[in-house]
Amino acid sequence: MKQAVILAAGEGNRLRPFTASKPKAMLTIAGKPILEHVIEALAGSGVRSIVLVVGYRREQIFDYFGSGEQSGVEITYVKQERRLGTAHALLQAKGVVADEFLVLSGDKLISADTIAGFVAVEPEAVLVKRVDNPTRYGVVTIEDDLVREITEQPKVAESSLISTRIYALSREVLNVIDARLAISDALNAMIAQGRPLRAYETDGTWLDIVYPWDILSLNGLILRQINPEMGGVIEKGVSLRGLVSVGKNTVIRANSSIVGPVVIGDGCHIGPHVCILPATSIGDNVVLAPLTEVENSVIGSDVTIGAGSIIQDSVIDQGSVIAGHFTAAAGEAEVRINDEHHSLKVGAMLGEGCNIGSGVVAQPGVILGSHSRVKALRLISGRLPDRSLVF
Amino acid sequence: MCGVVGYIGGRNAQPVLLNCLARLEYRGYDSCGIALDGGSLRVCKDIGKIAELAKVVPQLDGLAGIGHTRWATHGAPSRINAHPHLDCSGTIAVVHNGIINNFQVLRRRLEAEGHSFISETDTEVIPHLIEKYYRGSLEEAVVAALGEIKGSYAVIVLAAGESKLVVARNGSPLIIGVGDREHFIASDVPAVLDYTNRVIYLEDGDLAVVTSGGVSVTSRGAGVERKETRILWSVEDAQKAGYEHFMLKEIHEQPKVIRDTLVNWVSVADSVVDIAAMRRNLESMLILACGTSYHAALIGKYVIEELLSIPVRVEIASEFNYYGQTLARTAAIAITQSGETADTLKTIRKLRAARCLVIAITNVVGSSASRLADHTIYTWAGPEISVAATKSFMVQLMVLYWLVMSYSRIDPGRLAELVMDLRGLPEKVQRVLGRGDVISEYASYLAQHEDVFFIGRGINFPVALEGALKLKEVSYIHAEGYAAGELKHGSFALLGSGTPVVAILARDNTYEAMLSNIKEAKARGAPVLAVAEEGDVAIRELADFIITVPVVDAIFSPVVNTVALQLLAYYTARERGCPVDTPRNLAKSVTVE
Repeated sequence: MKQAVILAAGEGNRLRPFTASKPKAMLTIAGKPILEHVIEALAGSGVRSIVLVVGYRREQIFDYFGSGEQSGVEITYVKQERRLGTAHALLQAKGVVADEFLVLSGDKLISADTIAGFVAVEPEAVLVKRVDNPTRYGVVTIEDDLVREITEQPKVAESSLISTRIYALSREVLNVIDARLAISDALNAMIAQGRPLRAYETDGTWLDIVYPWDILSLNGLILRQINPEMGGVIEKGVSLRGLVSVGKNTVIRANSSIVGPVVIGDGCHIGPHVCILPATSIGDNVVLAPLTEVENSVIGSDVTIGAGSIIQDSVIDQGSVIAGHFTAAAGEAEVRINDEHHSLKVGAMLGEGCNIGSGVVAQPGVILGSHSRVKALRLISGRLPDRSLVF
Repeated sequence: MCGVVGYIGGRNAQPVLLNCLARLEYRGYDSCGIALDGGSLRVCKDIGKIAELAKVVPQLDGLAGIGHTRWATHGAPSRINAHPHLDCSGTIAVVHNGIINNFQVLRRRLEAEGHSFISETDTEVIPHLIEKYYRGSLEEAVVAALGEIKGSYAVIVLAAGESKLVVARNGSPLIIGVGDREHFIASDVPAVLDYTNRVIYLEDGDLAVVTSGGVSVTSRGAGVERKETRILWSVEDAQKAGYEHFMLKEIHEQPKVIRDTLVNWVSVADSVVDIAAMRRNLESMLILACGTSYHAALIGKYVIEELLSIPVRVEIASEFNYYGQTLARTAAIAITQSGETADTLKTIRKLRAARCLVIAITNVVGSSASRLADHTIYTWAGPEISVAATKSFMVQLMVLYWLVMSYSRIDPGRLAELVMDLRGLPEKVQRVLGRGDVISEYASYLAQHEDVFFIGRGINFPVALEGALKLKEVSYIHAEGYAAGELKHGSFALLGSGTPVVAILARDNTYEAMLSNIKEAKARGAPVLAVAEEGDVAIRELADFIITVPVVDAIFSPVVNTVALQLLAYYTARERGCPVDTPRNLAKSVTVE
């Protein structure tokens, strides 16, 4: 029985406003937090003893996973009170780890096949993967399956292999790694001392979220792998095509059309005459009023969207209430995140608990902070901080 | 969720099984039972608590046994439906957690083959299937029996004189605790931690033969090795899921329990109980409860009177029992979290004798209240361990709201607005929880005082009472809840700089009057801590401390305001170093009058 330590204390600064009240690992992809995808992958590979290192907004993790019973695992929580890097986070688990254990990030999306072989390897080892843009990650140079060095975000990559930040370690290693460092640097130091680190390659799912719109691309990829369930009430004249999953006590009213892949949570009220197009995820307790169209979007729990709205390539976080005739159509946009500029095709990004009046138009690329209020008939654009009032 | 346990080794199995079962109590259950092998099988089971079973169970000797806590799914809670279940010969006993989807087909077939069934459960097909396939090897018979089953299971099989337990898992959790020439089996690790911290986790598809000396596991016919894990955490830590106290955990569960209520009823527009259909000429209503449930009842009174224009009487059950008169045509609602509150049960009996219609609202399936009332509404808050009621109060409130809103007399336009607000409540409550840091700062101020007044008006008057009750029970600070207008009729004499006043506001017709009351308190030198809506500018001039809560329709203001006061009570108690989850002199359910 292998044990896994999952680091889930990270905040995800560039993902604001979606990380304003939850850690990055709790971002929802295809109806589940990223961390739940990770835990399911582990449970699917027979790893059921899990240590979660939590910090930022940890209550969200406690409340969702509890003791792990719903996910079929045993969870032990360890707190990282101050954020001092990944090696420090790992060292918080020193008192509860077994002789050998896996280390994973709670905010990188994986599936069971990613780690299926890796769960059985001997420590010390790192799981590596070939990617197209290695310079964003820790580039790994290897010799005869042994890691020579992990270089974090180099200007020029010496190889296309990157570290997935999934490791198999032994408890002794925790005695030698330096709490002040990132895990990759601590392992470089270990290699320099002559202790080997073996590399295993995977071609399974391994996806990172860096920017808010990455939520959409990951959602699209993961939705293709869902096992659909049919738990609700589907009224007459509803058309369902492709992979469509409907949660319990959700009502889809007459003449709605849903084209999968689409996941709809529990207790939603959809329609009549609502159109949901690929690849869309909808949380629990969501209302989509008549004549609304949603395409390639992620809608959080407890959201209400009024009649006649159009939502494309957008993320609407939980608890937002949007009156009728809201438009968030996708288009080419220039978006600024910290000091980086990005141009892409996207709709709107709305933080949690927003209150939007009727007939509001969101320009492509708008990022509206959490708990903002927008009066009827306004046009919103650019980046608006949390608690904005648009009157 | 059901729980299963098993024991085989050198000790007397009976006390071990009862203790393991008690450790699974947090999963919630309505009945329980055990079976022991002392040459022949002896079974003792019933509805009710494990402690009650322990009192009535005769001394059964045996070195192997199985036990079960049941949360009814197929078949009502009853002695017959409780596990363990036996085969026709009474030599094979089975406990099971999970659901067998094809049990009706199997049952009909087995009945046709001459097997006789006594319960309504899906589980009972398992011992009969094992009996059918038994050819001298228990494990082979279990494999053949499970091969017929479609569904999920964690099962433990005990057969007379076999000196082994056969266990299997598919879709429901199961672990084996490893001791010194003894083994413990359970749904969950906490059940066995009193005896051992060495645990084997079974995987789906595993079947294990467990004797006192060893465990051999097979998966789809082939032997597999399942390694031992050493458990380094304690039972309580696991159940607290990261939190320092159960009370804080349960406060934080409120967005989820509110959402569950919405998913179960509001989404499918299912009426909780159709009052109109049951009593056409309903002219008044009576609500009875004790403690925190009484405060939920008082809030219910405002909601029912405002939305349905029916006069409502709210009575404390222990008072009503001694004087209350009622007419047969009244519909009564009795609210009790545990379903075992002695005073409330007595009230229900009295009302039934007067031919009143009684609706019970309770959190415990199969509890006495549910058996006595005409109709029962379950609140599904999950087990509440902290003595101070938090999430169970919230769900009682949600049920009362929906009870009223599902009643057809409300104007459809107003109803649509209310439903929209109701659906937004989980996020609103989440936002109050996000204020924990600020509230804990104010709590450290409050913790320095020995007397605190809580004031509110209208629908927030019961919230003041609840805020005061929470503070006294967990922090031992003397606290009093008042209708704000009543302060000047006497209590003013006590106000001064050492008596903080917690004022609970809502933007309804009481708002202006509350501002005047706050000014009066300030004029006597009392520090004021206000719970007020976001964007309330007027209060900033008046209050010393402000806990802001999200804007909701005034009728739902008790929801967000109560959560703020729960956190205030919790952090104050923690600051004072009180045993938050188990306050002195108090019990979770009050089963004496």
